[in-house]
Amino acid sequence: MKVHYKINGEEKEFDIQPGELLLDVLRRNNYTEIKGNCYLGTCGACAVLINEVAKATCTTLAAQVNNAEIITIKGIGTISEPHLLQKAFVEKGAVQCGFCTPGTIISAYALLKNNPDPTEEDIKRSIDGNLCRCTGYVQQIEAIKFAIKLLKGGK
Amino acid sequence: MLKLKEVGQCFYPNTIEEAAKLLKESGEDTRIVGGGLHLTAFPNPAIKTLIFLNNLKLNYIKEIDGKISIGATTTISELANSAEMNGYLKGNVKKLLQSIASELLRNQITMGGSVAQREPYSDIVTMLLTLRADIVIHDGEKEIKTPISDFYKSNFRATLKKSVIKEVLLEKFDSTYKFGMKRFTRNATDIPLLNFGILAQVNEDTIKNVSIVVGARPGPAERFAQAEEFLKNKTLSKELAEEFGKFVEENVDVAGDIRVGKEYRAHIAGIFAKRILNEFMEE
Ligand SMILES: Cc1cc2nc3c(=O)[nH]c(=O)nc-3n(C[C@@H](O)[C@H](O)[C@H](O)COP(=O)(O)OP(=O)(O)OC[C@H]3O[C@@H](n4cnc5c(N)ncnc54)[C@H](O)[C@@H]3O)c2cc1C
Ligand code: FES
Ligand code: FES
Repeated sequence: MKVHYKINGEEKEFDIQPGELLLDVLRRNNYTEIKGNCYLGTCGACAVLINEVAKATCTTLAAQVNNAEIITIKGIGTISEPHLLQKAFVEKGAVQCGFCTPGTIISAYALLKNNPDPTEEDIKRSIDGNLCRCTGYVQQIEAIKFAIKLLKGGK
Repeated sequence: MLKLKEVGQCFYPNTIEEAAKLLKESGEDTRIVGGGLHLTAFPNPAIKTLIFLNNLKLNYIKEIDGKISIGATTTISELANSAEMNGYLKGNVKKLLQSIASELLRNQITMGGSVAQREPYSDIVTMLLTLRADIVIHDGEKEIKTPISDFYKSNFRATLKKSVIKEVLLEKFDSTYKFGMKRFTRNATDIPLLNFGILAQVNEDTIKNVSIVVGARPGPAERFAQAEEFLKNKTLSKELAEEFGKFVEENVDVAGDIRVGKEYRAHIAGIFAKRILNEFMEE
């Protein structure tokens, strides 16, 4: 069957099998910025925004989200034009091996879109499904707080 | 990783009648998809047909006839963030919902999927049993409303081979009611090893109309009738909380499994029971 998505602002059509996972469909079509790891919804490496909500693509059926708007980490900002969240993650040392980073930034981005002034508890809750084996989360939380400051400053 | 290899077709019905009809006609190897979390995380290779509820507009939380009606495809996050939950039972249901699993899972798990799957550890099932919710299903011709405890006493799995869950109804309890629920996990994404909920009416410190539910025992969540009886007409106090904690630890029907032993589960249940009553006093 065919599915249609708007991915990072571009209209796309893919051939899929009705039981396929969104993660597999997107990676097969070169969206390899989305990482796959646990395939159980528990690590968060595969998170993207689906109609503005952060979701795990490894537990989302590609056919269920036909016609959705999808945003990956590359849709938030690029290497030449990074989003302030991405800049903050680099600046605060919140990226070590980097495997968890796309998913964590997606979750933080979803939080800040709905709540530009979150409490520390809100920040922790927003990334509680994004496991990181390197940073110990301290730098990630600092980076999100720093990004909030930058965003408020309009930089 | 193609997990649902045998799925050859999927449907997007436009009405709940059509969805129920498709389910009846397509047979044993057909599944309704809620959030799809269970279906994809623990795929059943026999599944051949999927029915998506996207077009059914079952994504709602509204007040009707003094009840809060929650559509089957509403996720935990949507319910937690809804205006209806802000003051509901003093915000304690919202607080619980925000603590379940992780943000990505809360954004996916639906009310209908949780009720239908009835995982023994499900926090949603324990919460709905504690709140004495009603489950509304549609069999293709009519809606049927059943109290959740009767729903689970019936052969609900057979019923759901031919019916679709439409919504969950919650009573709008007045300000004399108090709710508390706690869940024990080893980490954010782990399944609960025990959950424990209490709903009670407290009138001038006297406890009435109690429901107490224990889940992840590790068997499915059930009302704890002995504990309900214990609290009935008692006066809320620190001493009662202490006594109740001990009673629960000694009498709760739990068992051990690979994750945690029987004694440990019983001990946690006793602690949760005491803490919830102490929190009732602070409200
Ligand atoms: C790793 C992991 C951790 C989890 N942690 C928790 C937790 O801590 N607490 C908690 O409460 N839950 C937790 N869950 C969710 C668990 O309770 C179930 O997996 C739940 O069923 C998921 O809901 P869903 O909407 O995604 O269900 P789905 O996967 O969509 O469906 C599950 C079943 O319900 C049926 N179904 C779905 N919707 C309907 C409907 N409207 N009518 C009739 N039948 C329907 C489906 O056909 C299927 O058989 C966790 C799940 C996973 C995989
Ligand atoms: S690969 Fe999707 S959550 Fe881990
Ligand atoms: S930076 Fe390595 S897992 Fe997070």
